[in-house]
Amino acid sequence: MRPNQNVVAGQRLPRLDGAVKATGRFVYGADFALPGTLYGKVLRSTLPHARLKRICASRALALPGVRAVIASADVPAARYGNAIKDQTVFATDIVRFIGHPLAAVAADTLEIAEHALAAIEVELEPLPPLYDPEAALAPGALLLHPGWQSYTALPVIARDGNVAGRSRMRHGDVDAAFAEAYRVYEHRFTTALQHAGYTEPRAASATWDSTGVLTVWSNGQLPFEVQATLSDILQLQPSRIRVVVPGVGGGFGGKLRIGVEHFAALLARASGRPVKMVTTSEEELTAAHPRQAAIITLKTGVTRDGRILAREGRVIVDCGAYSGSGPGVGAVALQCLYGPYRTPHYRLESLAVYTNKVPAGSFRAPSGPMANFAVESQMDMIARDLGIDPLEIRLRNVVQEGDLGPAGEVLRDVSIEECLRRAADAIGWHDRMTTPGRGKGLACSWWMTTGGSSGVFIKLNPDGSVGLTSGAVELGTGALTGAAQVLAEELAIDLEDVRIAMVDTQHVPYDYGAQGSRTAFSVGNACRAAAANLRAQLFALVAARYGLPAEDMRLHQKCVVAGDKRIPLSEIASQQYTGGGLIAHGTTLNPPSAYDAGRVENHPLPVWNTPSFHAHAADLSVDGETGEVTIHRYVVAQDVGYAINPTYVEGQIEGGVSQGLGQALSEEIVYQDGRVLNANLTDYKMPTSLDMPPVESILVEHASAAGPYGAKGVGEPPCIEPPATVANAIAAATGLWVQSLPITAEKILLGLRGESAA
Amino acid sequence: MTHIPLTLTVNGRPYDLLIEPHWTLLHVLRAEIGLPGSKANCLEAECGACTVLLDGKAVNSCILLAALCRGRSIITIEGLGDPEHLHPLQAAFVKHGAVQCGYCIPGMILTAKSFLDEHSERTPSREEIREAISGTLCRCTGYQKIIDAIVAFAAAHPEEQGPAHAP
Repeated sequence: MRPNQNVVAGQRLPRLDGAVKATGRFVYGADFALPGTLYGKVLRSTLPHARLKRICASRALALPGVRAVIASADVPAARYGNAIKDQTVFATDIVRFIGHPLAAVAADTLEIAEHALAAIEVELEPLPPLYDPEAALAPGALLLHPGWQSYTALPVIARDGNVAGRSRMRHGDVDAAFAEAYRVYEHRFTTALQHAGYTEPRAASATWDSTGVLTVWSNGQLPFEVQATLSDILQLQPSRIRVVVPGVGGGFGGKLRIGVEHFAALLARASGRPVKMVTTSEEELTAAHPRQAAIITLKTGVTRDGRILAREGRVIVDCGAYSGSGPGVGAVALQCLYGPYRTPHYRLESLAVYTNKVPAGSFRAPSGPMANFAVESQMDMIARDLGIDPLEIRLRNVVQEGDLGPAGEVLRDVSIEECLRRAADAIGWHDRMTTPGRGKGLACSWWMTTGGSSGVFIKLNPDGSVGLTSGAVELGTGALTGAAQVLAEELAIDLEDVRIAMVDTQHVPYDYGAQGSRTAFSVGNACRAAAANLRAQLFALVAARYGLPAEDMRLHQKCVVAGDKRIPLSEIASQQYTGGGLIAHGTTLNPPSAYDAGRVENHPLPVWNTPSFHAHAADLSVDGETGEVTIHRYVVAQDVGYAINPTYVEGQIEGGVSQGLGQALSEEIVYQDGRVLNANLTDYKMPTSLDMPPVESILVEHASAAGPYGAKGVGEPPCIEPPATVANAIAAATGLWVQSLPITAEKILLGLRGESAA
Repeated sequence: MTHIPLTLTVNGRPYDLLIEPHWTLLHVLRAEIGLPGSKANCLEAECGACTVLLDGKAVNSCILLAALCRGRSIITIEGLGDPEHLHPLQAAFVKHGAVQCGYCIPGMILTAKSFLDEHSERTPSREEIREAISGTLCRCTGYQKIIDAIVAFAAAHPEEQGPAHAP
C-alpha cells in the first residue's frame, strides 16, 4: 500500500546531490585533505613471485621532507581478508604479484614521497611463478601459500592448497540424465580480468587523536568493513576506529575491499601527522580489486525439443595472489550456471584459485557475467543445433512461479518470461533480417537482492525537514535519493525536505553496505520502519495536546491531519525541540528464504533473496573485413519490482550495459609473464560515448513481497547479460561463436578466417 | 625549489601566485587556488575529468603546465553556476539524470560548453554531441542521459550559450 498515492516515490525527481555535483561543489574522498597533511606512496614489487631477502629504508628516511617509511617489520604481524585472512599489509617473506606492497612512505609532498620510494633498497630472489589457475589445480603444483592451513577463514569456506574456496550445488542423478538425453553439449569459455573503472581513484586521509582514536576519511563502499579490516590490521578495537565517507566517485564493487586506508593509517601513526593517499591509474590497473578472470566448462543434456534435463558446470575464478572476494564470487557463479531455467539434475562446482597475479575483488554482479556468458552462449548453440528459435528454447525452459531454485528454495514473483517476451518484441525478434553480417541476439538471467541489515535514524527538524542518517554510502547510483523518496512518501513531505547525513561509523547505525543491489531496497525498508515510528510519536503528541484519537490521524502535505485540524510537522517539531527533538529509529533485515541444505556445499550465499529477472537483446553488425562490431540497438527488460525513481533505474541499466559491453568487446587487463601490459586508460579500453549504442530500458514491475512498495534490487543485473547477448548476436550475424571474452575484432576476424576459434 | 610568479584569471578573478615550474594547471587550481571542482583521475589526459576552459576552449588541465597559462583566462566548473543558481547546462544535467557519481561531470559539462560555444551559430546534432564528449570517460551512465541533457540544452537555450560568468 502506498500511503500517499505515489506523490514522491515512483516519480522522476532530480537526485538530492545532483546540483552540488554538477557545480563541482561536492567533496569526494580524493578532494579531502587535512591541514598539515603528508602524502603517502606505496613501494610495490617488480617481480611476480620472489623471496624478500632484504629491505632497507635508511637512505629514504634520510631524504629531506620524508617523515616516515614503513615496511613489514614496522606494522603488527596480522593477517586480514574478507573470507580468508590471508593477506598482510606488506610482503613479509614472500612477494606474490607484481604490485605487491613492500613499503610505504609519507613525505611533505607527493614528489618527495615518489623520490623516496626509489631510495628504498630491496633485494628480491626470484621464485618460479604460477599464472595459470588450471596449472595451479594440478597435482603436485607449486603451493603459493604453503602456510594456508594456518590462515583464519569463515567456517563455510572449503580450502585446499591453491584452492581458496570450493563451493557446490547439486541435485538429482546427473549421469543417468545425461545417459537419457537426446543430446549432450559440452563447451568451455574463458573471461578476462576487468577493472571496475570508477573515475575517482581510491583515496584515504587518516589522522590519530591524542586518545589513540584513528579517524579515516575513506571513499570505500563499506565503511564498516573498512573499520573491521583496520581493526584486524592495527589490532585495535573497532570502536577506536572512525571511518568517515565524504563522497564516492563510483565504486561498482571495486571499492568493497579495503583500498589505501590502511597505508594512510599506519603512515599517520608512524609520522604523527595526517596522511593522504590517492592511487594512480597504474596502481588501479595493477593492484586494485578487479573482476576475476574465469574459466567455465558447461555440459548440458537436453531432450529432442530442447528441454534441459541435466547440467554439469564448473567455474574456476582466478583469485590472484590473495583470496580477496574470490571464494564468494566463485560460489555465486553457481546460481548463474543454473540459470533461470528448470534443471531437474545438476552438479555445479566453483573453485577460487591462487595465482601470481593481482588479488581480485567483486565488480558489479561479481561472477554473473562470466557464468551467464557460458550458459546463454551454450543455450543458443543448442537452439541452433536443434533448429529451435533461441527465444522459444528459453521460453520452454524458464522457471515459473513456485518452482524450486538451485538451493531448493521456492521462487516467488517470477517474471522471466515477461522480460524475455518484452525484450524480444522491442528488438523486433520476429522481424529478423537475413542481411549477411547483421544479427540479433538474446540473453536472460536472474540475480539476487543481497540481504543483510540496514538501520536508519531520522530526525524531524524545527524547519520541517527530516535528517536521514544511515550507514549506507551513496556511490552515485542514486540509491539514497531513492531511499529518501520512500521516506518522503511515508512522511508526506517533499524529497527536498530530506537531508542525508554523511556516513561516520562513530554515530551512524550499522549498514551491510553499498553492495549487492541492496541500498535503495534495504535502506528504503528501514526508512519505512523509521517513518512508522515517527508517525506514531507525532500522532501521540497531537493526541495528547488536542485530545483527539491517534488512530484517526494521518499525514498529508507536511501536516498531521486530525479531524478538521491540520498541524504542520514543523510546528510539532519546534514544540518538541527543547526536549531533544523527534527522533526515530528503523531497521530492516531481509532474511534468506528457507532452502534445502542437502543441495548446497560450502556456499556463503546459498539462497538468493528477492531475486530479480531480466532479458537483454541486441541488434548489431559485424564488419567482415575488420571484425569490428557495431551495435545498432540494445534493449533491456528488467524486473525492478517497483521503480522508486524511473530516471535513476534507467541510469543503472544504461551504465550497467556500458560496463557489460566493455567486458563483452574491449576490456581486459592483459597479463604477460606476470606483468600488466596495459596499465593506463588509453590501452585499457572502457567504452567511450562513441562505443555506446542507444539503450532502451523496459522497466518491468512485478512487485516483490519484501522490497519497499515491491522494489527489487536494480544495480547489478544490467551488466550480467551484455557479453552473452553480444556473443549470440555476433553468432547470428556470422555463424561464429567466440567463447572467450573480450570478443575483440581480432578474435572475430581470426575466427571468420578459421585460423582460431579463440 | 625555485618558485616563479604567475598571474592568471580564474572564473573572472585575478590571481597572483608563486608556483613551482613543473606544477600543472590542475594542481594549481585544486591545491593553490582551492577550487577542487576540476577532478584528478588519470593525470595523463586520458579521461577528461580535469577539463577546464582556457580562453574558452576545453583543455586537459592535468598535463598543462600552469606556467604556460600566464595572463590567460580560465573557467572552471565553479565559474559556471552555483547550486542555487545553476547554469542552464548544469540544470539540464540534473534534470535529465545525467549525474550519477558526478566525478566526470565537471569535465563533461565544460567539454560540452566548449563545443557548443564553438558552434554557437547553430544547434549541433546528437551525433556531433556524442562525438564531442568522446574524450571524457564516464563509467556510471553509459553516456545516454549526458547526451540527452546536452541535446536538450542546445535545443532549448541557443541564446544562453554565451560566455560563462564568474560566481
